[in-house]
Amino acid sequence: MRILVIEDESKTAKFLKKGLSEAGFVVDVAGDGLEGLYLAQEVDFELLILDVMLPGLDGWQVLTRLRQAGRRAPVLFLTARDAVHERVRGFELGGDDYLVKPFAFSELLARVRSLLRRAPPRQQETIRRADLEIDLLRQRVTRAGQRLDLTAKEFLLLSFLARRAGEVLSRTLIAEAVWDMNFDSDTNVVDVNVRRLRSKVDDPFPLKLIRTVRGAGYVLECDQ
Amino acid sequence: MSWNATSDTAPWWRTLAFRLTAGYALAGLCLVFLATASLYLVLRMELEKSTDLFLADKLHVVRTLLRERPQDWDGLREEIELESAARRYQQFYIRLLDERNTPILTTPGMAEQLDLSLLARQIQSRPDHPFSMKGRHGQSFWVTSASAGVGSPSTRTDTIEIAIDVSQQEALLARYRRWFLATFLGCFAIFPLIGYRVARHGIRPVEEIATTAQHISSTNLHERILPEGYPFELASLAHTFNKMLDRLEESFERISRFSADIAHDLRTPVNNIRGEAEVALVRARTADEYREVLGSCLEEAVRLSDLISDLLFLARAESPLTLLRRERVNVAELLDGVRDYYQATAEDGGVSLTTAEGAEPVIAELDRALVQRAVGNLVSNAVAHTASGGSIVLATTLGTGAEASTVRIEVSDTGEGIPPEALPKVFDRFYRVDTSRSQASGGTGLGLAIVQSIMLLHGGSVGIDSQVGQGTRVTLRMPVSGSR
Repeated sequence: MRILVIEDESKTAKFLKKGLSEAGFVVDVAGDGLEGLYLAQEVDFELLILDVMLPGLDGWQVLTRLRQAGRRAPVLFLTARDAVHERVRGFELGGDDYLVKPFAFSELLARVRSLLRRAPPRQQETIRRADLEIDLLRQRVTRAGQRLDLTAKEFLLLSFLARRAGEVLSRTLIAEAVWDMNFDSDTNVVDVNVRRLRSKVDDPFPLKLIRTVRGAGYVLECDQ
Repeated sequence: MSWNATSDTAPWWRTLAFRLTAGYALAGLCLVFLATASLYLVLRMELEKSTDLFLADKLHVVRTLLRERPQDWDGLREEIELESAARRYQQFYIRLLDERNTPILTTPGMAEQLDLSLLARQIQSRPDHPFSMKGRHGQSFWVTSASAGVGSPSTRTDTIEIAIDVSQQEALLARYRRWFLATFLGCFAIFPLIGYRVARHGIRPVEEIATTAQHISSTNLHERILPEGYPFELASLAHTFNKMLDRLEESFERISRFSADIAHDLRTPVNNIRGEAEVALVRARTADEYREVLGSCLEEAVRLSDLISDLLFLARAESPLTLLRRERVNVAELLDGVRDYYQATAEDGGVSLTTAEGAEPVIAELDRALVQRAVGNLVSNAVAHTASGGSIVLATTLGTGAEASTVRIEVSDTGEGIPPEALPKVFDRFYRVDTSRSQASGGTGLGLAIVQSIMLLHGGSVGIDSQVGQGTRVTLRMPVSGSR
């Protein structure tokens, strides 16, 4: 899948390209608004990552012209300014998502994936990762055939990690998904809960599924 | 009349000194005018009254003589002709006329002083009423006439005419008028001067306050006004002003402490990133070593971005344009959610974390995410500062009485408590009771400042009670409804 990154800060553009490429996307980079607009009109991208403050044309203008030209590719805004009215403006102009710098790359990747996931995820009844099996209907978890005794929140946490297996999930994202806590502070609470989950899911088994990505979050590895 | 350096542009008639001066002068002049005018009127009335009495007395004497002793010609002559001649001032003249208006007796010199025919005409036109007329030499006379029966019982009726020279009195009144006018003019000159002095004297403290205020800038906020010798009202103004300066100075101190803290908290992670990266690049290292360095850098970067987002949150919360996304929130459920989130951490620390059962559901219009954050910050603090075996209780109630439309949320712990001297500062940004500022003590030091901001955004308040060794209770109060 092809993604266009319009970003004038070269370091940001570089790590975005690198990270997204490694995640399996084909990435093109434009350094200013005019070049970005030109590329976006020439090539059929499936997603645009657009910085708001750009030389030439700013992000708003690029988006407006793209929509006028009939391009419907989803747009993810990046900005260092996060005033509420800017956010609203971005959505009004037809932006699809909005991420404030500094952001966690894992967060960006998660949002890119969700924007590209056209169809809603099929409601699964069971998730299988390696020898882990989660029965979502009966809220039952087994590993290597052995029944695991989890609390309700531990079950939610594990199924969230398992559903997004292979994705690095930030602590903020986890707190939001599992506990509906929409704030960043005190994310070591997530660490405590992950540690408890591990003691039940990973500690008794030789194969460790939940891996800590230092400074980023947690990932449930499934390809080992 | 410009007395105030700041009033360069104000016209002189707009100055307080001018207004006070004008007021004093006007009041003084009115007073003097009323006093002199009333004195003059009283004097004039008294003089007229004494003249009238004198005339009435004379009339009475002559009448009595005519009635009782009509044959006593000598007595009558003495009364009419000689009595007057004996007087040096206020000379009076009497004429006695018979029924045919033929003069019987006349005080000598009367014809020289008065035009007698004019007198007769005037009397005829105004019988029985005293009146004034001018004499031949310009003097003023006060004239009265009366009829008198001769003999008892009366055989005929004569007419008595009395004229008295009142030019002395008029001269006296004229002197008084001149004197009063002079007094009035004198006051007119003196009063504004005195008024101006008084006004200036009264205003001087105000000028001093203004001068002090002009001197004050961020670098010398310690300057104060000495209100010694000021009148009470201005001393109180000076006191208020000093209080304001105290608060300003404190705010400035807070800001400069804040700047120092923010510099420290921003520099530390940047310094770590820079140093670690620099050292790592000095020579070739194994992949694990690089991974370690990168991981550490990432941690520092996360710390930095958390700090930035907290600071931005606080800055935005101060903007009046910040809007809350209010929705109906079941506060007890919100507290349960926060409790669940922190449950594992509390258990790890051996602390019991519970929500108190409320008697009635507490529903309020709040910004759910923000209140969650506020309560979360409080619980996080409580967990961090409560030793194993302690307990933390979350409770919510609807206010009663004066706080009827208020929702209260309490977070109480049995932790180590906060020293009283630190209590007023705990809501300051970056303030930490533990001043070592170590990361081990946790957080950015912005947690309670954020709690306070969230309460202010909701139109509420936050209160804290703490006893060292006993525990801490933080109370959040917010209006139930967002409609303000």
